[in-house]
Amino acid sequence: MTVLEVKHLKKSFGSIHAVQDISFEVNAGEVFTIIGPNGAGKTTTLEMIEGLVSPDSGEIRFGELDWNNHGNTIKKKIGVQPQSSAMFDLLTPEENLNLFATFYDKARPTEEILQLINLTDHRNNHVKKLSGGQRQRLAIGLAMISDPDIIFLDEPTTGLDPQARRNIWDIILQLKELGKTTILTTHYMEEAEKLSDRVCIVDQGKIVTLDTPAALIEKLTEEREVRLSFLDGTDAAKEVCLFAKDLDSVTRTERKDRSLKLWSTDPENTLYSLFGFTKEKNYHVEQVSIREMSLEDVFITFTGKEWRD
Amino acid sequence: MKQFKEMFVAQLKLTFREKQAWFWGIFFPVILMTIFMVIFSGSSDNEFSAKVAIVDENPNPGSQMMLQQISQIPVLEVKNGKPVTREIAEELVKDQEVHAAIVLPEGEDATSILLVVNRENEQGVTTQALSGMLNNLVQQANLTAVGATPTYELQFESITSGSNEINYTDFLLTGMIALAIAQGGMFGMVDLVEMRRKGLIKRLRMTPANMNIFGLSDMVMRLLFSIIQIILLSLIGVLIFGANLYINFPSLLIVFLLGALSFNALGYFFSSFSKTSEAYMGVANIFSFIMMFLSGIFFPIETMPEWIQPISNILPLTYFVEGLRESMVYSTSVFSSSLWFGIGIMVLWGAVTFLIGSFLYKRKSIVAAR
Ligand SMILES: Nc1ncnc2c1ncn2[C@@H]1O[C@H](COP(=O)(O)OP(=O)(O)OP(=O)(O)O)[C@@H](O)[C@H]1O
Ligand SMILES: [Mg+2]
Repeated sequence: MTVLEVKHLKKSFGSIHAVQDISFEVNAGEVFTIIGPNGAGKTTTLEMIEGLVSPDSGEIRFGELDWNNHGNTIKKKIGVQPQSSAMFDLLTPEENLNLFATFYDKARPTEEILQLINLTDHRNNHVKKLSGGQRQRLAIGLAMISDPDIIFLDEPTTGLDPQARRNIWDIILQLKELGKTTILTTHYMEEAEKLSDRVCIVDQGKIVTLDTPAALIEKLTEEREVRLSFLDGTDAAKEVCLFAKDLDSVTRTERKDRSLKLWSTDPENTLYSLFGFTKEKNYHVEQVSIREMSLEDVFITFTGKEWRD
Repeated sequence: MKQFKEMFVAQLKLTFREKQAWFWGIFFPVILMTIFMVIFSGSSDNEFSAKVAIVDENPNPGSQMMLQQISQIPVLEVKNGKPVTREIAEELVKDQEVHAAIVLPEGEDATSILLVVNRENEQGVTTQALSGMLNNLVQQANLTAVGATPTYELQFESITSGSNEINYTDFLLTGMIALAIAQGGMFGMVDLVEMRRKGLIKRLRMTPANMNIFGLSDMVMRLLFSIIQIILLSLIGVLIFGANLYINFPSLLIVFLLGALSFNALGYFFSSFSKTSEAYMGVANIFSFIMMFLSGIFFPIETMPEWIQPISNILPLTYFVEGLRESMVYSTSVFSSSLWFGIGIMVLWGAVTFLIGSFLYKRKSIVAAR
């Protein structure tokens, strides 16, 4: 079931075309990730969907609802964690949560949220005194206080330590278990791969590609890089190299001393034949690996650009 | 209703925890008032006194009687507490150790009493006052001498335009209250700029929170703060500096409410075009500074140069402080037309600035994204 539908969104700020043409659909219960470099237009896209920025053109629908006619109903259904999270600095996390809870008809118990975002120890400190990561977690808590069906998280893990990041991943996975829909932006390919059901890569205000992480990577896997090294020295490597060149699936080889790199369109069978050969010759393989393809390769392939976090 | 209560409680906490608000809203006006009161109200009235030396070279019943009477005048301080010789007295006058020397009659049949003053002080107020007092003494002595009772006597009565007399302490106290409330309104809206800059307004707009209720709870909070200002300043003024207040509560309530709202509207207007709190503070400071000196807070407008007075007459603070004086010192009733004329001008300021401010906010909320 589609809970959110976005069609041909466009937004310019003066001469900057922040969002040029973005369309996608989000299904109930999935984690949908928008990933892209700085300035790609992720925040602008989210803010249009959240009703903060009005698009120059395009259409946004939450099922039957749209911003023009059902603004308040939509606000009750969604929870938002903005990229720069603002809250009342002179109130405590608990007071912030309680205050936000009064804005909604139904709300989750503050206690439960505090535990979920792991801030029970800091419940009585002023927000002003929280660390960046703690603030970020509170911002996520505020987005969840109304128990919304759809949650928008704009870079929830940027600037967090690995521990806190994992913490937030857990929260997102919990939300998914509860059947909530999460729309997430991030800079971390690893995060997108781990958490999302579908990934939308954007660059310069346009969608580069959109699919499940596995499918995106699969699209790339024409040939994969296999590495081997041998205990028996250079001669062994040379001989294996000659053998590999004769295999149909191997397109290219590269040898340096005792190590061998080869590219294969069918790595599984290539390795099977290679190991048959080494067994026969009684060579000893020291290391073997198949390089994993990641979303990073997807990005590089589609945009021709280097990916930098 | 629940939303209002929670928002109000939150506002209460926010204000209570904001140290700046306490400093500028409460502590600063108190200090300023204390300084002004100490500097200006101490010497101006009722504190007249003069040092004199007395020469009584030939004590006799007449001179004794006068000496007796002089020593009973509280504002005269007799040097050394007893008569001195004429030479010494003249030295003292020359050196300005004393203001004047009084030479008492030298014998039963001597009829003159002599007042010796330094030439520099000949025309001074103190000299006039001294000679007036001595004249009085001499006349009484004359009357006693012929055994008559006075036919005429001077009665003293003071008249002001209002029903109660205003002295400088009352004037300054009401001025400081007006200033504190006005500044509270004009500076207080910096919160709004901060909230907008930090994105808090934007954050609230993402929730179904009713922004009108939020604004209302904010306003009630501010009014409460101003009430604390009024009570605190009044208490200090009355208890420590002896101000006299004759309050007409209905008038005070109206002047206070409309005044506080108008100056908050002014602050709201400033906030609508200020991008940073520094810019806001700049504008608020200019306005507050101009009004502080041109609105008759510290000194009556009538004492200022003629050409400045028209400016004073259009400033809202002029009418606010006037309204407060009417309702707190003269206990003018709510039905006074002059009271309403002043309130009218002040409220006009409030209404116009509020409308422009709202317009600017509306226009911006369409484009302002972050
Ligand atoms: N209010 C605005 N006024 C002017 N330009 C803007 C505004 N908002 C965004 N932009 C521009 O639009 C482009 C897209 O910005 P956006 O914030 O959507 O990027 P992003 O993908 O969220 O980047 P980041 O990863 O850094 O958060 C940027 O070039 C930005 O400078
Ligand atoms: Mg962003």
